[in-house]
Amino acid sequence: MATYLLNRLWQSLATLFLASVVVFVGVRALPGDPALALAGEEADPATLAAVRADLGLDQPLVAQYGAFVKNLLQGDLGTSIATGVPVTDLIATTLPVTLWLSLYAVTIAIVVGIGAGVAAAVHRGRWPEWFANGFTLVGLSVPSFWLGILAILYLAVGLRWFPASGYVAVSEEPLRGLYYLTLPAVVLGTALAAVVMRQTRSSMLDTLSADYVRTARAKGLRNRHVLTRFALRNSLIVVVTIIGLQLGGLVSGAVVTERIFGLPGFGKLTLDSVFTRDYPVIQAVVIITTFAYIVINLAIDLLYSLINPRIRVGGSTR
Amino acid sequence: MLLLGACYPVQPRAASPDREDVTTVSAEGDQVREGGDLVMGLSADPDVLDPTTSSSLYTRYVMSSICEKLYDIDAEGSIVPQLATDLPEIEDQGRTVRIPLRDGVEFADGTPFDAEAVRRSLERHLTQEDSARAAEMGPIEDIEAVDDSTVELHYETPFSPITASLADRAGMIMSPKALDDLGDDFGNNPVCVGPFKFVERVPATSIVVEKDPRYYAADEVHLDTITYRIMTDANIRAANLQSGDVQVVDSVSPTTIDTLRREPGIGLLQTGSLGYQAITFNVGNTDGVGEPPGKVDSPMAGDPRLRQAFELSLDREALVNSVFSNWFEPACSPISPDTEFATEASNACPPYDPKKSRALLERAGVHTPVKLTMKVTNTPDTLRLAQAIQGSVSAGGFDVEIEPVEYTTLLDNQSNGDFQVLQLGWSGRIDPHGNMYAFLATGQSSNYSGYSNEEVDDLLTEAAEQVDMDQRARTYGEVVTQVQKDDPLIYLYRQRNLTAYSDDLTGVSTFADGVVRLSRAGFVEGDQD
Repeated sequence: MATYLLNRLWQSLATLFLASVVVFVGVRALPGDPALALAGEEADPATLAAVRADLGLDQPLVAQYGAFVKNLLQGDLGTSIATGVPVTDLIATTLPVTLWLSLYAVTIAIVVGIGAGVAAAVHRGRWPEWFANGFTLVGLSVPSFWLGILAILYLAVGLRWFPASGYVAVSEEPLRGLYYLTLPAVVLGTALAAVVMRQTRSSMLDTLSADYVRTARAKGLRNRHVLTRFALRNSLIVVVTIIGLQLGGLVSGAVVTERIFGLPGFGKLTLDSVFTRDYPVIQAVVIITTFAYIVINLAIDLLYSLINPRIRVGGSTR
Repeated sequence: MLLLGACYPVQPRAASPDREDVTTVSAEGDQVREGGDLVMGLSADPDVLDPTTSSSLYTRYVMSSICEKLYDIDAEGSIVPQLATDLPEIEDQGRTVRIPLRDGVEFADGTPFDAEAVRRSLERHLTQEDSARAAEMGPIEDIEAVDDSTVELHYETPFSPITASLADRAGMIMSPKALDDLGDDFGNNPVCVGPFKFVERVPATSIVVEKDPRYYAADEVHLDTITYRIMTDANIRAANLQSGDVQVVDSVSPTTIDTLRREPGIGLLQTGSLGYQAITFNVGNTDGVGEPPGKVDSPMAGDPRLRQAFELSLDREALVNSVFSNWFEPACSPISPDTEFATEASNACPPYDPKKSRALLERAGVHTPVKLTMKVTNTPDTLRLAQAIQGSVSAGGFDVEIEPVEYTTLLDNQSNGDFQVLQLGWSGRIDPHGNMYAFLATGQSSNYSGYSNEEVDDLLTEAAEQVDMDQRARTYGEVVTQVQKDDPLIYLYRQRNLTAYSDDLTGVSTFADGVVRLSRAGFVEGDQD
């Protein structure tokens, strides 16, 4: 286990290093000058030169990268070119928004997706399955930006059940915060719920026809017990993997959702920083997203062993 | 690279029946309730809230609530005193500008507002290395605090646009104590004289200001707080206004405004703009903007007759009406016809005449259709405009290829001279100097076309130094006449500032500078916020 974790640590560090090089070179290869983007229509050459010097953009690329890595190792992600705010402050204010949104969306996706998946598998060939399949089709086909606009038009503007925009910190006012996050979370969680439902249904169908389930039933165990203890638990391994892989997708989904609902999250920060060529912010969000991917994947690998004791990380299955 | 070839049909529509300026929401006898929290949906994120370094137009929206200027403009577009008590006295043939100031005024942090504070702010605008204001203030020799309530600006050569500059960000006065305490970080916690004071900013999301009890006219301020919430998508802003989550939105899209106007409980403010949208030809920008012009190797750059032909092929009225649903206005010069600088010469417009265009091309001896590539931003409205231009000029003998580019990249291309033709605009300033000098004088900071004409250079310099308003207007008219012959830029249309509001609000204003002023806004008694 220790060797396995050590190996993963080295791999993670190498990945982070590569990501830092790619993003550093990548953003500078993009057409568009951050000083010009900042100046907009009022671009005075003398002011632009002063801004570039102030941001260190007039230094050689290697020197800029060296300064970036040195600061990064000291926990300093730099200062946003567009707003003049330290990037760590920006991350600290935006990341919790996206984490709450993602958590809420995943919760919705798990509850709806697994519930509908189990119902579809158990009631195969009847209306619950047709309904669940229809939901999957719609959930996967409808782009989130369109779903978001529809949700605002009908649920916020028409029925006025939810606010069309705005954010209240869940940590400060939990109920009001969740109320404000409900529409965005539903929009963000819909596609994931569809994926989870489809995967749960298919895994459940496999396990329900397995010998050990038939044996359990033959032994006279109650149907509910067979479904939860035998079928569902074994189906979850694949489902958890899928959820883990989709978590990364939530960050990109959050980009669109946060923009539509005006949420001050990490996704919106990412998009805004790309539009304004805010190099320090783009670099920071990519590094943090890479880090999050690595941690989530490691957590999922470790979670396998909890769900299915036959799997042991770093060793052979038995 | 995506090249569009499709045409957007140009279909002339009837002129809009309703283009009267509506600049202020008046209470019409209703009682204004004291207190309340107003939320405005702002179409772009302001940059740093520092009057010296700010270059975003949207910063002015927020600053209008927290940072008063020496001068402002009124509903008619005339310059009026704000922190000054009267218009400047001009002496020494325009070389001395004396500004009388209000007495008994305090900054939001309690520091007294006086001539020394004004001098300090103006010096900062003028000398700070990354100042975006220095060029707007002209050739100032020194700034003197004559007494507590008088400031004098001394010029090397006369600079008439200074009053208009002081009605914009250069006229915003910052607390000297805050400047001492915060230095370059002033924009993170701005302190000025204003009806509201800064509370907090969540980057790219919102800015909150609250009523300042120290304000010299605090009894005219009704709201407790204003929250500026950033909403870049026009449809989302409109939906939020309809749902009641915000009460004011700026920059309503002309494509959605008719629908929005039919909604009960929503009103519309509209004014003409000081800015313009134009087509820029690269006639000499070979080494980047600000550098001496070079030779661009293309027929369009070398022969003004081709550019004149292009202008004759543009059916501005039809373009604007079909693409912007009658809401914007055709424009042929950088001087808005609504301002006091408008003259017969500045209002003159070459008529749409594709036959004459073809004749000019024939005389110039070029093969038709003349092929050219036009870079535009990749927004839906601009792409529709570009396709309409493409369709319009084909009748005049041009074959335009459209190259959509992301806005930041287009700014880069514009600056580096990496374009043949491009379409972008300018938000506009009160004084024509701010709309013409930097764009048309040789080697200036926004002369993206690389245009150079000695006569135009001389006229623009003269106009800035002339003190008499009529004389200045005439000189700018002469510039317009010459520029329409050379056509480095072809002015296309002028946007209207369209602001929608919830009708339980009163006191909201939008003037020609486009800034939505909320400082005297309030909720009507009996309505909820």
